[in-house]
Amino acid sequence: MRKKFSFRASILVAAGVLLAAGCRQAPERTAGPDPASASGPRRGGTVVTGWTAEPGGVNSLILPSTQINNEMLFRMFLHLIEEQPDFQQHPATFKPQLAESYDWSPDHKTLTFHLRGDVVWTDGVPVTAEDVRWTWQAQRHPDVAWELADSKRWIDDVEVVDPRTVRFHFSRVYPKQLLDANEGPVFPKHAWETLPFAQWRQNGDWFRQHLVVDGPFTVASWQPQQQIVLQRNERYYEKGLPYLDRVVMRQIPDQSNGLTQLLSGELDFLPQIGFGDAPRVKASPRLELIAYWFNLYVAVTWNNERPLFKDPEVRRALTLAIDRKTIVETLLGTYGKVADSPILTSVWAHDPALHPLPYDPAEARRILAAKGWKDTDGDGVLDKNGKPFAFELLTNTGNQARTDATVMIQDQLKKVGIRVTPRQVEFNTLAAQTIAGKYDAAMMGYTIDTSLDLRSNFHSESIAEGSNYSRYRNPEVDRLIDLGAAQPDLLAERPFLNQIQQIAHRDQPLTFLWESQRLTGVNKRVRNVRPTPTFAFFNLKEWWVEPKG
Amino acid sequence: MLGFLLRRLAASLLLLLLVLTFTFFFLRLIPGDPARIFEGQRLTLEQQQRLRQIYGLDRPLPLQYLAWVSSVAKGDWGTSLSQQRPVSTVLGEAVPATAILGMAALAVEYFLALLLGIASALRRGSALDHGIRIVTLLFFSLPLFWVGLMAILLFSYVWPVLPASHMHSVDADLMSPAERWLDLARHLLLPALVMGVGTAGGTARFLRASLIEVMSQDYIRAARAKGLSERRVVWVHGLRNAIVPVIQVFAIQLPLLLSGALIVEVVFSWPGLGQLTFLAISTRDYPLILGAVALSATLVILGNLLADVLHALADPRVRDAQE
Repeated sequence: MRKKFSFRASILVAAGVLLAAGCRQAPERTAGPDPASASGPRRGGTVVTGWTAEPGGVNSLILPSTQINNEMLFRMFLHLIEEQPDFQQHPATFKPQLAESYDWSPDHKTLTFHLRGDVVWTDGVPVTAEDVRWTWQAQRHPDVAWELADSKRWIDDVEVVDPRTVRFHFSRVYPKQLLDANEGPVFPKHAWETLPFAQWRQNGDWFRQHLVVDGPFTVASWQPQQQIVLQRNERYYEKGLPYLDRVVMRQIPDQSNGLTQLLSGELDFLPQIGFGDAPRVKASPRLELIAYWFNLYVAVTWNNERPLFKDPEVRRALTLAIDRKTIVETLLGTYGKVADSPILTSVWAHDPALHPLPYDPAEARRILAAKGWKDTDGDGVLDKNGKPFAFELLTNTGNQARTDATVMIQDQLKKVGIRVTPRQVEFNTLAAQTIAGKYDAAMMGYTIDTSLDLRSNFHSESIAEGSNYSRYRNPEVDRLIDLGAAQPDLLAERPFLNQIQQIAHRDQPLTFLWESQRLTGVNKRVRNVRPTPTFAFFNLKEWWVEPKG
Repeated sequence: MLGFLLRRLAASLLLLLLVLTFTFFFLRLIPGDPARIFEGQRLTLEQQQRLRQIYGLDRPLPLQYLAWVSSVAKGDWGTSLSQQRPVSTVLGEAVPATAILGMAALAVEYFLALLLGIASALRRGSALDHGIRIVTLLFFSLPLFWVGLMAILLFSYVWPVLPASHMHSVDADLMSPAERWLDLARHLLLPALVMGVGTAGGTARFLRASLIEVMSQDYIRAARAKGLSERRVVWVHGLRNAIVPVIQVFAIQLPLLLSGALIVEVVFSWPGLGQLTFLAISTRDYPLILGAVALSATLVILGNLLADVLHALADPRVRDAQE
């Protein structure tokens, strides 16, 4: 088996091994409560965090829904309710945020939120139902072109009953109504309504200049390409929170440099550590490594419209010929597991009846032979009608695990007579090629949120508009997705989700490779850090630091 | 001299227009639709179309080009697609950082090049000459990002005497102006050294060759025959003439410096044009890429122009020929 490493990675790994030598390894912890924080939080202090990218602005409606944007903005602007990361055994629950309660009409088409009376913007103006309604208008406006505007498709109106009561009117009943109503933070009407929606996309700076927030943090300073300093919002409604005075978000595009700064103590927090770097973090006496299951799976996406991958039996043979367990153990160690479904094993709706297909090259050869793929010319490559079984496997640059996996897959498929040419392309080029269907196979990561929306990846309508990159078409799956979407809640949708997972397991439109953990590095002086699959900053308002000395 | 300058300026403007035209059209050949890149994959087709309209990307390419040229002629470089801010503002924030880094790197480069070039030339064929050649060749050949990372590892982690990144410390806002300048100098040292050391080798070799040639000229022998000290012969008569070709190298090195900045700024989180261009390319931010290319091309062209002027000033034969 051939294994490929980047020069830079190998140097850093080598340096890391040298530096870590002789150091005792500290155990890592999961993202649960920090046991030591029982001694009691302290108010004050600054935490310095490192990020590979910089937030694009302060108005999320004109920004892509990227991690860095959401991490910062969700700490500055409140939602009606806050989704909790407790989706392992049941659908995620919600805690009150702007709204202290909500109730449904008997026909489940009207959702009424009762707002708190003590939430104000940083300029002292109260947050009211008018802000909620105006935000909904902005979210749906064509000139704003908000990425998640589709989540408001079934909301016909948002009615202001009184300053503290707001009512969402839906045109239909479906499982994600609450999630959709709550999608996106509420923005300050009185501060931002003076700029017409049509001018929003040209005036990102304007929102920074007219910034008022209602969340626990606000922006103290913003140095482009350098750092953003968040400071405590003294008008935040939860008395005593946040504990920290300031949170510095340093932009460090180079991941190796970020790790060096975490190790040297310049940074207190690094949201993402490479698997190969985990031993260095664990070896540092002042750092803690937090490991938690991430909301992403990696899969080989077969272009189902290409003749080679049209037949589900052939795709199944390809999966059987890939030794996923070895790939995961080699590249991710204990931080990954073989995936078998688009719904992650850490999520309540994962079908427990599913088990990953085994590594069985003999069975793969048998299936391929039955489908007419034989090595007629003795060149070691299967062929059919004079055409060899050969294809290009794309992946994006900058992700070493995926690059290494393509090489391992090349080696494994060669053993059953399939010639694979791995090729790395820049991320946006890969996206453009897969969207246009101009590829054979591609190794890609798929994120899935708590709405468990399988439509965008597996419904045939999502080939033209959506993320069905495998171009998978199955009328039964389409029907099940549509039926699931007509249920009143996520629990009622579960039987349909199970059937879709079983069909995907049978048809293998993708070969599910792995689910992995995310590793976050924290200086031990920072306490009560509890990242979630969605947010590294999830409970930022509850972080606190040990006093120096 | 004025006629020469005007002719060169006109040619430079034409060259700039060609560079920008070329960049404008070739950029669009790179796969990736900004309307999808910026907003992820969840936009409806209708929304994608609306975004293209808002950004002016829905029109035929020649019309987009004409509109862009027309607005640039009025001084409007458009709006950054990724930041939704005027391109001129975004670039304006980045230029000082790159200028500071570039000047510091040039200072390091020419200081080292002068020292090493003169030492090599005067000790031609000696162990010192061979040693300098090997070391400078090594630094010239090593990839900048690797040198940068190793420098960070050595000077910020193993021997933590210099900051690993950024232009200022976290709490620079709270410093006095003098402390802020010192803070900047500390942050500048590592990236400037990495950039300067890499290119110093090439310049030193160039200076060495030039100085060796000059030192064999008759007027140097004449100077020595007049009884001038060796130091005066080298520094006044030798170096003054040997430096002329090095001035031209300076112009050639400007593009190298800018491309070097692209790597060094990313490695050291330096908030300049290099990091900005890297980000603009990866997000297909066409107006920002064009603005950055225009700025870089202008700097390179001006650098060449400056080199020609300096050359003319330093060498009377060139000046006379132009007049």
